[in-house]
Amino acid sequence: MHHTVMDHLSMQDTFLHRLDARSKLIAVVVFTIVVISLRRTGVGIIAVSAVGPFAMLLVGRVPLKLAALQIGCLCPFIMIIAISSAFYDRSVVTIAFGAYELNTTQGAIGAVAIFARFAVTMMAIIALSATTRLSDLLAAFSSLGLPKILVMQIGLLYRYIFLIIDRACHMLGARAGRKLRYLGLRRELSTSAAMIASLFATSTQTAQRVSDAMMARGFDGTIRSLKKSTFSIADTVFLAAVCAYMALLLAVKGVI
Amino acid sequence: MHMPNEILSLPVAGGSFAIAAVGLGTLCRVASRTISSEKASLMGIFGAFIFAAQMLNLPLPFPPGASGHLTGAVLLAIVLGPAAASVVMTSVIIIQCLVFQDGGLLALGCNIINLAIVPSFAGHTIYHLIAGARKTKFRIYAASIIACIAATILSAALVSIETAISGVIAVPFVTFLAFMSGVHFVIGIFEGVITASVLAYIYRARGDLINGVAGGSPRLSKAAFIVTLAGATIIIAVSISLVASAKPDGLEWSLQQSTAVSSESIETSTPGPANGWTSLAAVAGSALTMIVIWLVSKIFANRGGGKCITP
Repeated sequence: MHHTVMDHLSMQDTFLHRLDARSKLIAVVVFTIVVISLRRTGVGIIAVSAVGPFAMLLVGRVPLKLAALQIGCLCPFIMIIAISSAFYDRSVVTIAFGAYELNTTQGAIGAVAIFARFAVTMMAIIALSATTRLSDLLAAFSSLGLPKILVMQIGLLYRYIFLIIDRACHMLGARAGRKLRYLGLRRELSTSAAMIASLFATSTQTAQRVSDAMMARGFDGTIRSLKKSTFSIADTVFLAAVCAYMALLLAVKGVI
Repeated sequence: MHMPNEILSLPVAGGSFAIAAVGLGTLCRVASRTISSEKASLMGIFGAFIFAAQMLNLPLPFPPGASGHLTGAVLLAIVLGPAAASVVMTSVIIIQCLVFQDGGLLALGCNIINLAIVPSFAGHTIYHLIAGARKTKFRIYAASIIACIAATILSAALVSIETAISGVIAVPFVTFLAFMSGVHFVIGIFEGVITASVLAYIYRARGDLINGVAGGSPRLSKAAFIVTLAGATIIIAVSISLVASAKPDGLEWSLQQSTAVSSESIETSTPGPANGWTSLAAVAGSALTMIVIWLVSKIFANRGGGKCITP
């Protein structure tokens, strides 16, 4: 499953993995802001902006196939918006690519640009997720001022996801094994509702047991980590490289 | 309905982020006061439950091959209260963004407002307004279905408004709003029926989790469902017809203005025949750079630097 794959990838040991989570988070946020602010629809600037996250994926040893599949899985919503947008702006423009010239519509160019920017920013967030453990990201959030209760909630949620999703998968497998055809909306609905409610009830029981166990171990609402966040020279170099890259993007956006 | 970065403008993304941060900060303070550390793990489990429940999809008869799943904000708001539900839903949205890459990083503010805070509070308020103090079977079902439909459509309307103010896409505001409302009306019905059915099961099996429950074993009544659906349809139809006025309202006007501005900016920056070679050079150069990075990474990969370490 995707979250287990990402969890496994985030435990590798590469240059990007060793960086402080805060520097990677800041870099990805700044990169996303710059890419979104590039209103220009030229393919050149989007291609240049793809180099950074592409390099992050490779340096972080993230399989490119995984990134491509993830972008493919999440693109339908943006595709619908981009394609429908293309129908509303039909002013004809001529685009040139090397020696080739092509007549198309402004809306079609806009649609391609929206989707290309989506793919580029997705690559950046995949690179961040696959090279940073969630516990490190949470520590970064905490040091950046996110409320304690929310950080704790995200940490606990991620801890239980594996447990509860595993249970849901068992239920789905059991349903698939017993049901060989579509049963009609009413029965499908009642089956699904019963499954969800049953999952809810068992989740509550598990929560109660886990809560008792945590309280018995002296849990006071604070999640402590043995790993200390440190901002090293490597982080400074990384952020300097990101700043230089952003400056390059902003400098060339009026040219290509 | 997770919004990606690309349909938002920077001011809208920044503004919504600021609103979400202030709202969430307040809600976290409320939740910290009302929720003890013992119940913290309960909230974590409920967040994981929402994730898992979203996997249990139901095959829908129309359109062919489509399936739907529970969103869960209204259900959580009824069970945990709106403040705690908002915090849980926010954590779900952040995990969906960071781990599953669903929803943009810059769009987090919008997604938290649209999918966590607004549906939790709207759903909770509507549910309690309709269900009242003395909850009967009919009221519970009617309240949960109407609350889900209203919360879902409200979220969809917010998506349309935020997109319109951003002015990135060329689709007219009213068209986008009508499309989103129509699609999410159907999703809201489904969400409402599932929520009502799950509540029925919880009332029957674990009534102690929710206070003020009618006794007995409530089951989804066909009459209650039909009456509720008819009522909700009339309300939504009237609301949409009011919105879809022939004259442009303020938002439509602002969308027209912003679309005009964005079209103008696109027009002036579109690569024309004159700079075709520059574009080709940029793409070729970027592709070449990527190939070089890929080759270098392949060389270094063989040196064993990417071993997986124990957590």
